[in-house]
Amino acid sequence: MSQIVKSGDSAVDEQRLKESFARVAEYGDEVPLFFYSHLFLTHPETREMFPVSMAVQRDKLVNALGRIVSDVSNHDTLLPFLRGLGRDHRKFAAVAEHYPAVGASLIATLKHFSGSSWTEDLAHDWTEAYGVIAQVMTDAAAEDETQNPAWWSATVVGHERRTMEVAVLRVAPDVPLRYLPGQSVAVECDARPRVWRFYSMANAPRHDGTIDFHVRVIDGGAVSYALARRVSVGTRLRLGAPVGTLLLNTDSPRNLLLAAGSTGLAPLKAIVEQVAGLPDPPQAHLVFGARTAAGLYDLADLEKMAAQWPWLTVTPAVSGEPGYRGEKGTVADVVGRRVRLADHDVYICGSAAMTTATVNRMQSLGMPQDQIYVEDYLWSES
Amino acid sequence: MIRADSEALTPERVRSAVFSLTRLGRRGVDEGEVRAFCDWVSGGLERLLGDNAGLQEEVMRLRNRLISGKDKAGPQPEDAHVQAVYVLSRAQQTADRYVADAQEYSMELAQDAQTRRDEVLREAQVRASMILEEAHTAASHAASMVPAAREPLPAAERQELQAEIAYLRTFSDVCRTHLRAYMESLSRSIEQWEQVERRGAAAAVEARESALPASA
Repeated sequence: MSQIVKSGDSAVDEQRLKESFARVAEYGDEVPLFFYSHLFLTHPETREMFPVSMAVQRDKLVNALGRIVSDVSNHDTLLPFLRGLGRDHRKFAAVAEHYPAVGASLIATLKHFSGSSWTEDLAHDWTEAYGVIAQVMTDAAAEDETQNPAWWSATVVGHERRTMEVAVLRVAPDVPLRYLPGQSVAVECDARPRVWRFYSMANAPRHDGTIDFHVRVIDGGAVSYALARRVSVGTRLRLGAPVGTLLLNTDSPRNLLLAAGSTGLAPLKAIVEQVAGLPDPPQAHLVFGARTAAGLYDLADLEKMAAQWPWLTVTPAVSGEPGYRGEKGTVADVVGRRVRLADHDVYICGSAAMTTATVNRMQSLGMPQDQIYVEDYLWSES
Repeated sequence: MIRADSEALTPERVRSAVFSLTRLGRRGVDEGEVRAFCDWVSGGLERLLGDNAGLQEEVMRLRNRLISGKDKAGPQPEDAHVQAVYVLSRAQQTADRYVADAQEYSMELAQDAQTRRDEVLREAQVRASMILEEAHTAASHAASMVPAAREPLPAAERQELQAEIAYLRTFSDVCRTHLRAYMESLSRSIEQWEQVERRGAAAAVEARESALPASA
């Protein structure tokens, strides 16, 4: 699509756009604050679409706008981003009618903070640019609508508290939700309206369509607490469209090393189940780490899988319990100790700290970058 | 302290900053002083941000008046609209702060409770293994007495052994009672922890509800 740069009178001066945005962005948080207040005053019905606290939302808006403006000349990355954004906004119940309202508030905000530097030309540039953005987003949403619901309603059919912090949920979507092992969906519950958090499916797709989620309570976290403690069998949840790129590379000739920190196990367990369905499964070594032995919340199930499938080895790793009788240390420690890395592709999932530490260790042990698979969280920032 | 450059500098961020400890043998600074300083900076920052927002409002109002070129007394219709946007913005910021405070509070409660739970568990483990060890010693002592009993026993020795067996029975009862008491105190601690957590959650809900009218 080349509509962003149009020939003739309506040409958008991209440089002018960037400079204008940079000037406005200097006002920091005041800019999105003004934007949302303007939107809610002119279209009060839109307030319902947002959570009580808007602090995170404002950061998201500024990040998305910043990305759009900086990529305005780079259509190869901008268009997929906008299309993803358009599809993603369906779960917030955003419809085509909302786009002009957002556009009007955006222009009013830019005008307000530009002060005397606001000109007719700038007004024209921004209106044109927003028109194209809205068009790409609504087109992508409309196209998605022909194939998928805006969100999947689901019922909790199983809820097990495995440890003080971790619960395992099994949910049944009303209509089938198709996804690839390793992917995630955004989850929302009535206890925390309008707040969505991403969780990975912890199983390969099943015939009955049920999905498992592993939920760890984050201290002070709103959604994780509700899902682990408030939710019970029968509770209704909403799930967004599947996203994520931590997918099994079935073309690789190498064996698998799966490094899981706590509930980072979920997508890797789904991948193990996927491997079990392959005609000729590669050797897979799953290292499952936690601070204490009690934190190995899914070990019984994993050991059952390892007993059933000869190609699968499971090694638990405990980092913070001196009296533990098995492998002591972090996942990175144990992986470095136990496996000949050159023969493996490594898939890593866990907390940000665990992921960084493990990736660094793999690199320092000489593992090539293209054999290391981690989730790219860019999509979750939209 | 880990900090991303893109992260916004907020009073909450300053107040909740966590610094890693210096390695043993290196000179560090007094933790209490750092904490007090962070609180002071955070308070100052909050005041400055408030002042800044007020000043920005004033600047915008004056600028709009200059642009419109009319210096009439009283706000213009456009002014009134901008004022409304600012009023709503301040209300939203207040709501955001309530939610952030409630979340921070519940986080602190949960972390405290977790630390206490870990301590209780550790203590219980140590005591349980002590009791087991004592029982083990007593048992091996009793076992060492058994070979002696193979030969016909004089009445006095038999009585002595029977007394020993009675003593061991009592001792094992005591061990069991001790263990049960520890398990009970452990489960009480867990209940307390959950109560504290529920109170934290209730505080968060309350904060959210009291914030609602401001953002409606």
